[in-house]
Amino acid sequence: MKEEKKFKAIVDCNSFYCSCERLFRPDLQNKPIVVLSNNDGCIISRTDEAKLLGVQMAVPYFMAKEVIEKNNVATFSSNYNLYGDMSRRVMDTLKMLVGEKNVEVYSVDEAFLDVPISHVDLFNEYALHLREVVERWTGISVSVGISTTKTLAKIANHLAKKNKAATKCIYTLMDPDEVREALKKTPVSEIWGVGRANAEKLMKWKIENAWDLRNMPEEWARKNLGGVVGTRLLKELKGIACIEMKNELVNKKMITTTRMFGKNVKELSEIKEAISTYISRAAEKLRRQYCAASVIQIFMVAKEENHSVTFSHGATISASMRLSIATSATNELIIPALQIAEKVFKPGREYKKAGVILSGIVPDDAVQSNLFTPPTENSKRFLMNTVDNLNFSMRNDIIKFASSGVKNNWKMRREFHSPKYTSRWDELRNVS
Amino acid sequence: MVANNFSVNLLNILVPNQTFFMQNDQFYSSSYNGTKAFSQHDVRTANATGFGAAADDYMERGIDLNEELIRNKPATFFMRISSDAMKGSGIYKGDVVIVDRSLKASNGRVIIATFGGEMLIRRFEKINNKVRLLADDTLSPIEVDSSCENFGVWGVVTYVIHKP
Repeated sequence: MKEEKKFKAIVDCNSFYCSCERLFRPDLQNKPIVVLSNNDGCIISRTDEAKLLGVQMAVPYFMAKEVIEKNNVATFSSNYNLYGDMSRRVMDTLKMLVGEKNVEVYSVDEAFLDVPISHVDLFNEYALHLREVVERWTGISVSVGISTTKTLAKIANHLAKKNKAATKCIYTLMDPDEVREALKKTPVSEIWGVGRANAEKLMKWKIENAWDLRNMPEEWARKNLGGVVGTRLLKELKGIACIEMKNELVNKKMITTTRMFGKNVKELSEIKEAISTYISRAAEKLRRQYCAASVIQIFMVAKEENHSVTFSHGATISASMRLSIATSATNELIIPALQIAEKVFKPGREYKKAGVILSGIVPDDAVQSNLFTPPTENSKRFLMNTVDNLNFSMRNDIIKFASSGVKNNWKMRREFHSPKYTSRWDELRNVS
Repeated sequence: MVANNFSVNLLNILVPNQTFFMQNDQFYSSSYNGTKAFSQHDVRTANATGFGAAADDYMERGIDLNEELIRNKPATFFMRISSDAMKGSGIYKGDVVIVDRSLKASNGRVIIATFGGEMLIRRFEKINNKVRLLADDTLSPIEVDSSCENFGVWGVVTYVIHKP
């Protein structure tokens, strides 16, 4: 049964972060749950029960607090350690079921699949099978959308989730009439790949739904929607697949580490501790992909000076420096990073957030040496290897640079953090 | 079998050039490369400068606990026992159990059950569609109604790690 035409599916985990928490908390079955972003800032995941109570996504926690407390909504700080592990399990299961090369991991809770079946009748069985196995093995319930292109599969998935009882979390969008109806019901802002700015632009031109957009001439899209990207989007909506499966990004071109502070920070010494800590983490990620970086950027977000009750950040201030030679050694990155931090920091202001961005990333065996700088000696690589191995095996950053500090008063709030059920011997779930 | 009503034929369409095989009540595809990634280079050789290479021909990868204890990695979880409910089966308070969610609970197996919001380790009894959860000690068995909404099988216990 050889068939050239391939179909696309997207598998999307339902309320992923909440589902991870619930798996180890059967007492929360059918109960409302929310998960908060870093620093317990906003609501980033909610179950259907929480949605019914009127809890909105991306709303600051303090604004939803009243509803949450009144209705006894189970609240969790984000436990990325757990979610990362559960995500890997879901993706591994999918890869095992349909073959590794047919899976593109798109985000922590979404994967695109190439569907090599030609019988439309079999789609439902196929999707049902994926759903059942993933849920049984990993405990995570997923929705499946299938269509001819990635963009349409996304819309199908959206429809699957909109009415779970009727669709059983599976939606196949294939019939031309059905596609037309679905596109008419999809506002442009909900189309995959249409950002907020473009959506506003389209609305101004009275292009309100995906069907309107689909019927625009391609030449128009090329001019007004970012060239090739625009024509590709139009074709995808017409059912012509042109966004192909991507291989997983192995090496990142830019490494960012940033966190909100647990409370506003005024002292330079504390900011420097935070910057050292972030650099250490970023450098670790850099070494994990066997790379070195040559550009360091430091940024800080200050508290709005004439602040009202509005929930907005102040301006981001940043500065960067190009190193004469790319490096991945934490100590070689910390020194310039702290110099930049001193420059960016203005006394008398309060800061809410800081971060580091490493770029100019090259493989560390191909570092361009500079005539005037001695190359990084092997001893440094040996030192960093030892540090990484110690931290990897003993965990909790058992060894770190002194500039990262010990008290870390600025660390983010994680008041409702659940145990790392799947990665720590001393945090396993108890059974009686 | 995982694939209820799902033909192996269809599986072969989904994943061409791969064969599927059954083991116990579980199917595996040939793409599944075991429990732990390893390479040829993990096989240690004598690395002797003189005579020693003879043994190298017989070298294998050393004992790897994952290989024996974990059949299906994405479905395997570890849990800590906090009661002596299954003492008679050699599962004591403080032990760690290995749980495989992909296995089907069958009569007589030790399972992790969710019941009334709790997670329990019990022996699963299913006779004529009547389900009971049995403990080894004085705790009385839990009768599970077929319509019972607060009961579920979380996973099947495959191994116990016990420190004597």
